Amino acid sequence: MTKSLYGAKEASGIWVYLEQSQGQLEGVSLELLGKARELVEGQRIPIVGVLLGDQVGGLAQEAIAAGADEVRVADDPLLSQYTTDGYAKVITEIILDGKPDILLLGATPDGRDLAGRIAVRLRTGLTADCTDLKLEEKSGLLIGEVWGFGGGIIAYIKCPDNRPQMATVRAGVFAVPEPDPARQGKIVNVPVKLAEKDIKVQVLEHVVGGGVDITRAEVLVAAGRGCQGDFALVNELASLLDGEVGVSRVPVDEGWASRDRMIGQTGYTTRPKLAIVCGISGAFQFTVGVEKAETIVAINSDAEAPIFEAADYCIVDDMFNVLPPLIKAVKKARGGNGGR
Amino acid sequence: MSQPVDSILLKDETWERVDKATGGAAAPCFQCGVCTAICPLGLVKGETISIRKMVRQAQLGLPGWADGLWECTTCLWCESRCPHEVNITKAILGLRQLAWKEREVPEGLPTLLWDIYFDGNTWGRPPSERPLWTKGISVKEFSPDDEILLYVGDDAAYDRRIQKVARALVAVLEAAGVTFGTLGEREPSCGDAVRSVGHEEYAAEIIDANSRLFQEAGVKTVVTVSPHSYDMFANRYPNLSGEFRPLHYSQYLLELIEAERLKFENELPLKVTYHDPCYLSRRNGICDEPRQVLQSIPGLQLVEMERSREDSLCCGGGGGRMWMETAAGERFSDLRIQEAAETGAEVVVTCCPHCLSCLEDSLSVVGKDKLRVLDLAEVAHLALQSQAVTSDAASGRS
Repeated sequence: MTKSLYGAKEASGIWVYLEQSQGQLEGVSLELLGKARELVEGQRIPIVGVLLGDQVGGLAQEAIAAGADEVRVADDPLLSQYTTDGYAKVITEIILDGKPDILLLGATPDGRDLAGRIAVRLRTGLTADCTDLKLEEKSGLLIGEVWGFGGGIIAYIKCPDNRPQMATVRAGVFAVPEPDPARQGKIVNVPVKLAEKDIKVQVLEHVVGGGVDITRAEVLVAAGRGCQGDFALVNELASLLDGEVGVSRVPVDEGWASRDRMIGQTGYTTRPKLAIVCGISGAFQFTVGVEKAETIVAINSDAEAPIFEAADYCIVDDMFNVLPPLIKAVKKARGGNGGR
Repeated sequence: MSQPVDSILLKDETWERVDKATGGAAAPCFQCGVCTAICPLGLVKGETISIRKMVRQAQLGLPGWADGLWECTTCLWCESRCPHEVNITKAILGLRQLAWKEREVPEGLPTLLWDIYFDGNTWGRPPSERPLWTKGISVKEFSPDDEILLYVGDDAAYDRRIQKVARALVAVLEAAGVTFGTLGEREPSCGDAVRSVGHEEYAAEIIDANSRLFQEAGVKTVVTVSPHSYDMFANRYPNLSGEFRPLHYSQYLLELIEAERLKFENELPLKVTYHDPCYLSRRNGICDEPRQVLQSIPGLQLVEMERSREDSLCCGGGGGRMWMETAAGERFSDLRIQEAAETGAEVVVTCCPHCLSCLEDSLSVVGKDKLRVLDLAEVAHLALQSQAVTSDAASGRS
């Protein structure tokens, strides 16, 4: 196996990549700081945040309040937008200087992109998309829990020899720690050696799309042919319940919804706590993608629809008759909150 | 075609790999292009995929992946017209096999293989749920004294729609007094899904393990619900003894009718058309048996679609396409349902789970009140039930 650029003996500390955009730290970075604190509890292992950007120094204190002992800040106008080239070059130098034992990143689009790049540069391993992190009892090695192959298996992965031990973790896996404004920490400004020619990509515009991941939704409101392209009620119910909207194949075919919302054999397999399935007849190719839900409520005007065989609660009626009173009832139950 | 093309360097090493994976299947091709012309993808795509080019790739060991490699449904129409009898699907599956080695396969297919590996079925459902299709009826475990082993298969075991087919078939077998059983929770995946997405090595493992299981269980005659399982057992399980006799259930029902064990005594006044599954008709020459079963039902009228028998139009579900998405407007089953509706039939009958799923999915094209899709086993079961209501149906027909 290829040797990493530095070894276990020289390495120390848990580092967390502090991802920021538009002057705000990503929630997952704070979650990782909280988890790192929990991992090192009772041990003298420093937790270091790495922050890259343009005029982002103000965020360092927030990271310290969330659990960092030290924050290394690389501040440069060339880092104002995330670019793979620029960020990979700068963070690699910071890592080679500080030699962390463990490096954690959020499994965000940018975090995933950056993690792969720096793992190769540092000749180390990367456990991607972890759903839990542990330290092995005797060795202190990082163990990443990874769900593989559509949830078929859980793998525990460690990186015994090479350093840093890298992992990316999905957002929402760990809790955001309660900030402690009294916490003290060190803020270190690191020099940035970056020239315009190092960045091969020019960012013309930064647009945040409406990307969804229905596989992680706890509540799914799914609609099919029966909605006739009218998603107003479905969207309203989903947002009231803090859920996502999923669809069967027909809305994708008709262009009513994008493929990233499609449930089923050629779409996504979901496992929400609650799935409200509206106007979907329930061919098994669809059902197999929602059957792992804890509770399925099916609404369909056809009493013979096969979806009812998979459902825990069956409502035989047009979804447009059922959803308005349901939405009203949810709003009422939410009471003084006035919804969300 | 007027654009200049970069020259391509042929490498012996690549050629050897491709030649090995495809078993030299492409060698006899003389590039006439009939395959590309006949490929049904031309019916649904503005620009069809070039089967000829794919075969050329397999022949010369050209680098890179051919367009359309994963769109082939292995319907075999190209092979049926090939003047040099090139085993085209073998070449295509060989190229897919290389794609697995390079880890360049479509999204979702690795999950399919892991589902089969961990759960023993293509649905990723627990093996303990395999016998759930029998709910409401009792089907015993197979013993070597039974006349047949009923091989249910992944679709009929798990897919709630296809479960109805298996239950109808059980009722028909019982009416004919057949002694049979299933392997229950032990029933394995037949390997067709794995083979058709090109993972030849894993398919070989499955075939090996299943052959041993069948031998240990003392299986002789095995009757399958799916033509795909039939094709596997009949053509790709080389190590089973001469006593091993795989049959698709349409063949077995005809045997029962000819032996006068299965009789349809009363009329079933239905106008039906029959959709030939590729894996029965083109691949295995089984066109007459299902039709003869239908024609043995009094009162039933069989009308033919123009594309029928060995010229049947594929439903779109073979070659692993059931686990890949086919864009709206590119589904053969939409055309097929249209063709079935044009015959004036009330029911389009088929006898393959994939065909049934695809055709029912496309039914919305013509509207559900005009046409229904039923499996042959379901029609046979309906015909038996019509005996129970005396001959009302017949007299009410006129």
